[in-house]
Amino acid sequence: MEFADREIALDLPRFGACTYRESEVIAFPWGLPGFATLHRFVALSLEGQQKFVWLQSLDDLSIALPTADPWQIFDDYAPQLPPYAVSSLDLGRPEDFVTLCVVVVSPGAAEMTMNLLAPVVINLQTRTGRQVTLETGGYSVRTPIPRKAPSPAGA
Amino acid sequence: MLVLSRKLNQAIMIGDDVRIVVVAVDRDTVKLGIEAPRTIPVHRSEVYEEIQRTNRAAAGETDQPPGEGAKVADLGGKGRKPAAKD
Repeated sequence: MEFADREIALDLPRFGACTYRESEVIAFPWGLPGFATLHRFVALSLEGQQKFVWLQSLDDLSIALPTADPWQIFDDYAPQLPPYAVSSLDLGRPEDFVTLCVVVVSPGAAEMTMNLLAPVVINLQTRTGRQVTLETGGYSVRTPIPRKAPSPAGA
Repeated sequence: MLVLSRKLNQAIMIGDDVRIVVVAVDRDTVKLGIEAPRTIPVHRSEVYEEIQRTNRAAAGETDQPPGEGAKVADLGGKGRKPAAKD
Protein backbone atom coordinates (compact mmCIF):
# COMPACT_ATOMS: atom_id res chain seq x y z
CA MET A 1 0.00 0.00 0.00
CA GLU A 2 1.37 3.34 -0.92
CA PHE A 3 1.57 5.82 1.90
CA ALA A 4 0.31 9.21 0.82
CA ASP A 5 3.48 11.15 1.46
CA ARG A 6 3.49 13.58 -1.39
CA GLU A 7 5.94 16.39 -1.76
CA ILE A 8 4.43 19.67 -0.66
CA ALA A 9 5.74 22.88 -2.20
CA LEU A 10 6.22 26.05 -0.18
CA ASP A 11 7.15 29.58 -1.08
CA LEU A 12 8.87 30.81 2.06
CA PRO A 13 9.20 34.54 2.77
CA ARG A 14 12.74 34.00 3.96
CA PHE A 15 14.09 31.19 1.84
CA GLY A 16 11.95 31.07 -1.28
CA ALA A 17 10.91 27.82 -2.89
CA CYS A 18 11.18 24.65 -0.87
CA THR A 19 9.52 21.25 -0.74
CA TYR A 20 8.90 18.88 2.14
CA ARG A 21 6.99 15.70 2.84
CA GLU A 22 4.37 15.20 5.51
CA SER A 23 6.61 12.52 7.06
CA GLU A 24 9.31 15.15 7.56
CA VAL A 25 7.16 17.44 9.70
CA ILE A 26 8.18 17.77 13.35
CA ALA A 27 5.36 18.29 15.83
CA PHE A 28 5.88 20.68 18.73
CA PRO A 29 2.79 19.95 20.87
CA TRP A 30 3.85 22.56 23.45
CA GLY A 31 4.82 25.14 20.85
CA LEU A 32 8.04 27.03 21.48
CA PRO A 33 8.46 29.69 24.18
CA GLY A 34 7.43 32.92 22.48
CA PHE A 35 5.59 30.97 19.78
CA ALA A 36 3.16 28.91 21.81
CA THR A 37 0.64 28.61 19.00
CA LEU A 38 3.07 27.19 16.42
CA HIS A 39 2.97 23.41 16.47
CA ARG A 40 4.33 22.20 13.14
CA PHE A 41 7.86 22.77 11.88
CA VAL A 42 10.24 21.40 9.30
CA ALA A 43 14.01 21.41 9.79
CA LEU A 44 15.70 23.06 6.83
CA SER A 45 19.30 23.42 5.76
CA LEU A 46 20.47 26.07 3.32
CA GLU A 47 23.07 25.92 0.63
CA GLY A 48 26.40 27.11 1.99
CA GLN A 49 25.14 27.11 5.58
CA GLN A 50 25.36 23.43 6.30
CA LYS A 51 25.93 23.83 10.02
CA PHE A 52 22.72 25.75 10.60
CA VAL A 53 19.41 23.96 10.94
CA TRP A 54 16.47 26.29 10.50
CA LEU A 55 13.28 25.39 12.32
CA GLN A 56 10.74 26.68 9.83
CA SER A 57 7.18 27.03 11.11
CA LEU A 58 4.48 25.62 8.86
CA ASP A 59 1.75 27.44 10.79
CA ASP A 60 3.33 30.85 10.21
CA LEU A 61 5.70 30.81 7.26
CA SER A 62 7.28 34.10 8.35
CA ILE A 63 8.77 32.40 11.42
CA ALA A 64 12.04 30.48 11.19
CA LEU A 65 14.56 30.00 13.98
CA PRO A 66 18.22 29.24 13.30
CA THR A 67 19.61 26.43 15.41
CA ALA A 68 22.80 24.40 15.41
CA ASP A 69 24.32 21.32 16.94
CA PRO A 70 25.80 22.74 20.16
CA TRP A 71 28.73 20.30 20.16
CA GLN A 72 30.23 21.73 17.01
CA ILE A 73 31.05 24.82 19.10
CA PHE A 74 30.91 23.83 22.76
CA ASP A 75 32.70 20.53 22.97
CA ASP A 76 32.17 20.15 26.72
CA TYR A 77 28.42 20.89 26.67
CA ALA A 78 26.79 18.31 28.94
CA PRO A 79 23.06 18.94 29.28
CA GLN A 80 21.15 16.80 31.76
CA LEU A 81 17.59 16.42 30.55
CA PRO A 82 15.04 16.80 33.34
CA PRO A 83 12.53 13.98 33.92
CA TYR A 84 9.64 15.90 32.36
CA ALA A 85 11.53 16.10 29.08
CA VAL A 86 12.44 12.44 29.03
CA SER A 87 8.88 11.34 29.76
CA SER A 88 7.04 13.84 27.58
CA LEU A 89 9.25 13.15 24.57
CA ASP A 90 9.44 9.41 25.27
CA LEU A 91 13.21 9.53 24.93
CA GLY A 92 14.70 6.08 24.73
CA ARG A 93 17.73 5.16 22.70
CA PRO A 94 20.17 8.06 22.27
CA GLU A 95 20.26 7.54 18.50
CA ASP A 96 16.53 8.23 18.34
CA PHE A 97 16.78 11.89 19.25
CA VAL A 98 18.69 14.99 18.30
CA THR A 99 19.63 18.13 20.22
CA LEU A 100 19.74 21.58 18.64
CA CYS A 101 20.30 24.98 20.26
CA VAL A 102 18.76 28.25 19.11
CA VAL A 103 21.23 30.77 17.72
CA VAL A 104 20.71 34.52 17.90
CA VAL A 105 22.58 36.49 15.26
CA SER A 106 22.93 40.14 16.15
CA PRO A 107 22.26 42.79 13.50
CA GLY A 108 25.20 42.88 11.14
CA ALA A 109 26.17 39.40 12.32
CA ALA A 110 28.66 41.11 14.64
CA GLU A 111 27.91 38.66 17.40
CA MET A 112 26.28 35.29 17.71
CA THR A 113 24.96 33.67 20.84
CA MET A 114 23.60 30.20 21.51
CA ASN A 115 20.89 29.19 23.95
CA LEU A 116 22.54 26.41 25.92
CA LEU A 117 20.03 26.70 28.77
CA ALA A 118 17.07 25.55 26.68
CA PRO A 119 18.04 23.05 23.97
CA VAL A 120 15.47 21.89 21.45
CA VAL A 121 15.21 18.12 21.73
CA ILE A 122 13.57 16.20 18.89
CA ASN A 123 12.55 12.54 19.00
CA LEU A 124 13.26 11.38 15.46
CA GLN A 125 11.11 8.27 15.80
CA THR A 126 7.94 10.07 16.85
CA ARG A 127 9.00 13.30 15.10
CA THR A 128 8.06 15.25 18.20
CA GLY A 129 10.08 18.12 19.62
CA ARG A 130 10.18 20.33 22.67
CA GLN A 131 12.38 23.15 23.89
CA VAL A 132 13.57 21.95 27.27
CA THR A 133 14.74 24.22 30.09
CA LEU A 134 17.66 22.58 31.89
CA GLU A 135 17.59 22.61 35.66
CA THR A 136 21.29 22.07 36.20
CA GLY A 137 24.59 23.02 34.60
CA GLY A 138 24.39 26.79 34.96
CA TYR A 139 24.04 27.33 31.21
CA SER A 140 23.12 30.71 29.75
CA VAL A 141 20.32 31.64 27.37
CA ARG A 142 22.77 33.78 25.41
CA THR A 143 26.15 32.10 25.48
CA PRO A 144 28.51 34.05 23.19
CA ILE A 145 29.86 31.95 20.36
CA PRO A 146 33.62 32.56 20.40
CA ARG A 147 34.86 34.24 17.26
CA LYS A 148 37.54 31.66 16.78
CA ALA A 149 35.07 28.81 16.96
CA PRO A 150 33.83 27.31 13.73
CA SER A 151 30.82 29.43 12.90
CA PRO A 152 27.55 27.58 12.41
CA ALA A 153 27.06 29.75 9.37
CA GLY A 154 30.00 28.00 7.77
CA ALA A 155 32.74 29.86 6.01
CA MET B 1 -6.48 36.27 38.03
CA LEU B 2 -7.45 34.39 41.14
CA VAL B 3 -5.91 36.02 44.21
CA LEU B 4 -5.65 34.08 47.47
CA SER B 5 -4.21 35.13 50.83
CA ARG B 6 -2.06 32.53 52.58
CA LYS B 7 -0.20 32.57 55.88
CA LEU B 8 3.12 30.92 56.64
CA ASN B 9 2.94 27.13 56.11
CA GLN B 10 -0.42 27.35 54.40
CA ALA B 11 -0.71 25.93 50.92
CA ILE B 12 -2.78 25.94 47.77
CA MET B 13 -3.59 23.02 45.53
CA ILE B 14 -3.58 23.31 41.75
CA GLY B 15 -5.48 20.38 40.37
CA ASP B 16 -5.03 17.12 42.21
CA ASP B 17 -1.30 16.86 42.21
CA VAL B 18 0.34 20.28 42.46
CA ARG B 19 0.76 21.76 45.93
CA ILE B 20 2.41 25.10 46.66
CA VAL B 21 3.22 25.95 50.26
CA VAL B 22 4.49 29.20 51.79
CA VAL B 23 7.73 28.11 53.45
CA ALA B 24 9.08 31.46 54.62
CA VAL B 25 8.31 35.17 54.41
CA ASP B 26 11.07 37.72 54.89
CA ARG B 27 10.36 41.37 54.04
CA ASP B 28 9.65 41.39 50.29
CA THR B 29 10.73 37.81 49.64
CA VAL B 30 8.40 34.85 49.82
CA LYS B 31 9.90 31.37 49.76
CA LEU B 32 7.61 28.80 48.19
CA GLY B 33 7.78 25.04 48.28
CA ILE B 34 6.38 23.29 45.24
CA GLU B 35 5.29 19.68 45.15
CA ALA B 36 4.49 18.62 41.61
CA PRO B 37 4.83 15.45 39.54
CA ARG B 38 8.22 15.20 37.90
CA THR B 39 6.48 15.25 34.55
CA ILE B 40 5.57 18.92 35.07
CA PRO B 41 8.27 21.53 34.38
CA VAL B 42 8.59 24.15 37.13
CA HIS B 43 10.66 27.26 36.50
CA ARG B 44 10.96 30.85 37.61
CA SER B 45 8.94 33.00 35.21
CA GLU B 46 11.85 35.24 34.31
CA VAL B 47 13.79 32.25 32.97
CA TYR B 48 10.90 31.31 30.71
CA GLU B 49 10.44 34.92 29.62
CA GLU B 50 14.13 35.17 28.76
CA ILE B 51 13.82 32.08 26.56
CA GLN B 52 10.75 33.63 24.91
CA ARG B 53 12.68 36.82 24.18
CA THR B 54 15.64 34.88 22.84
CA ASN B 55 13.46 32.82 20.51
CA ARG B 56 11.76 35.95 19.19
CA ALA B 57 15.14 37.60 18.65
CA ALA B 58 16.40 34.49 16.84
CA ALA B 59 13.39 34.50 14.53
CA GLY B 60 13.63 38.23 13.97
CA GLU B 61 15.02 39.95 10.97
CA THR B 62 18.76 40.00 10.72
CA ASP B 63 21.09 41.50 8.18
CA GLN B 64 22.00 38.06 7.05
CA PRO B 65 21.32 37.26 3.45
CA PRO B 66 18.05 35.36 3.32
CA GLY B 67 19.68 32.22 2.08
CA GLU B 68 18.80 29.99 -0.80
CA GLY B 69 18.54 26.37 -1.70
CA ALA B 70 16.47 25.45 1.34
CA LYS B 71 15.83 21.76 1.70
CA VAL B 72 14.79 19.49 4.51
CA ALA B 73 17.75 18.86 6.80
CA ASP B 74 18.97 15.37 7.56
CA LEU B 75 18.85 15.22 11.35
CA GLY B 76 19.65 11.54 11.67
CA GLY B 77 22.68 10.79 13.76
CA LYS B 78 23.49 14.44 14.17
CA GLY B 79 25.58 15.47 17.12
CA ARG B 80 26.09 14.01 20.51
CA LYS B 81 23.41 13.25 23.04
CA PRO B 82 22.59 14.71 26.41
CA ALA B 83 22.30 12.46 29.42
CA ALA B 84 18.95 11.88 31.05
CA LYS B 85 18.87 13.16 34.59
CA ASP B 86 17.50 10.89 37.32
